[in-house]
Amino acid sequence: MAVADIYHAILAFKHKEIADLVQKELDLKTDVSGILNDGLIAAMDELGRQYSQGALFVPEMLIGALSMKNGLGVLKPILARTNAQPKGIIVIGTVKGDQHDVGKNLVAMMLEGAGFKVVDIGVDNDTAAFVKAITDNNADIAALSSLLTTSMPAMEKIVTELKEQVSGVKTMVGGAPTSMAFAERIGSYGYGGDGPEAVETARKLMAL
Amino acid sequence: MTKAMTPPERMMAVMMGQEKPDRVPVVPFIQGYAANIMGMPPGEFWSDGDNYFDANFASMRLHGYEQTPLFGYAACGPWEFGGKVGMPDGSGELAPYVIESPVKTLEDIETLKVPTFDGPLPGGFAIADRNAERCVEMGMPAGFQAGSIFSAAAQVADTNAFLTWVITEPDAVRMLMDKVSDMFINALEYFANKFGAQQCMPFQAGPLEANGMISPDTFRDLVYPYNLKVNQKIKELGIGAVLMHPCADQNLNIPYYVQMREACDWHGRYIWIFGPETSIPDQMKAFGDHDIICGNVDPIAILEKPYAEVVQLCKDAIDEGKDNPGGFILTPGCEFPADAAPIKVMAMMDAAEQFGRYE
Repeated sequence: MAVADIYHAILAFKHKEIADLVQKELDLKTDVSGILNDGLIAAMDELGRQYSQGALFVPEMLIGALSMKNGLGVLKPILARTNAQPKGIIVIGTVKGDQHDVGKNLVAMMLEGAGFKVVDIGVDNDTAAFVKAITDNNADIAALSSLLTTSMPAMEKIVTELKEQVSGVKTMVGGAPTSMAFAERIGSYGYGGDGPEAVETARKLMAL
Repeated sequence: MTKAMTPPERMMAVMMGQEKPDRVPVVPFIQGYAANIMGMPPGEFWSDGDNYFDANFASMRLHGYEQTPLFGYAACGPWEFGGKVGMPDGSGELAPYVIESPVKTLEDIETLKVPTFDGPLPGGFAIADRNAERCVEMGMPAGFQAGSIFSAAAQVADTNAFLTWVITEPDAVRMLMDKVSDMFINALEYFANKFGAQQCMPFQAGPLEANGMISPDTFRDLVYPYNLKVNQKIKELGIGAVLMHPCADQNLNIPYYVQMREACDWHGRYIWIFGPETSIPDQMKAFGDHDIICGNVDPIAILEKPYAEVVQLCKDAIDEGKDNPGGFILTPGCEFPADAAPIKVMAMMDAAEQFGRYE
């Protein structure tokens, strides 16, 4: 039994076994940060790398994210007791006029898998919804998702208004119709074309 | 001087394939845009077959393109199987969207009933039926949705759950795909009986089987068999033309579309509108000898680029596809952006007039 077993079980999409494996490591007094960083987060990074290379697809990533969720479910109470800090706090949501959430959900799970605290506010969000969630959670980053070209203007509006209404928060955008050029044009701090890229962007925005 | 063809004559020429049209036909794949230029709230447009037809017909008359009104929507499936869709209120969503999927658990798949067409028509098919009646009254084909099966199934179920079931519960996915394909077969039989097979033009469109979503192996195992089942039924019914829109990047799925065509021993014409990620030469190589291919201008470029650049993009597509042996139509690579300026349709028409002449 070793942390590597958790890592390999995630890569083998054995999501139902992850909670037990994590608990067994805890029972063996393995360091919590080792389980988190070398088991769960390292496996998610590897899944993200394979996804970016076109070797894995959305269903596999969703299973990986379920593994992460199951593992974190065991670790969270301990992490809370040890006062371990997340790598950053991210509010994520699909923008006003857009009800699609598969991409947003995947990015949210990958960000959580990378060690960020993620506050998912769902779909069809206006500026006020983002401002409230950012303020309530003292968030570092607002991540805006869009699938439809018709919701791109809402994304631009929210990015602009967040700059005016909330100090200190950085925005990142993503979704099928968006691009780096679009992100730059609307004044977003960052862009994530897919889950792994969103994780990298969030790490850069947090200077990690 | 040669007399110019009318739009129906032009479309008939490319569909029959026996003579060249006078110029490349333009099918701008317009839906929500028609409501915009009519000043019609999108909810009224999408929820009423007469409104849908009237707006589309007005757009046809305004621009003079070759597309006829064709009802279908990306969120097809949940409403038809007893779930709920929302009609757009104009605040962003411009087409119907899923509010509640009827399948939330694996057990729900087993009890799910396939919609029938022998009473009130299910969900959006009632709207498609009225639009088709208006089309046929005016000599145009009855267009209705007959796929994509995978995209519909992924919305009949909670989409996130469905996509994980692709890996963990493939037999359940097959059961759901079977029921969704049966719904589309029921629709095909209904429309063919009502309007006549030769008057029907079903279309199949969906993004969730794109290569960015599922692997080509998953497409082979879980999508292809049901595509084949529905397309065999289309052939059996004697329907001669099908509009196919493999949405987004489906380059790695092309061999299975070719295989499906061959396995059906397809007798008619597929009209292929691939996403802008698929090159025109690749489409010609796969389907060009038999089928009509479409050049597939990026809809986001249509929305964002100025008139002159859109004309140039259309010219590039025409130059590549115009002489495809099976025929060529100028289209966007997906639905025409609903909030694009009317001058962008003019750009497509101008490009066809200036660079798409055959004589």
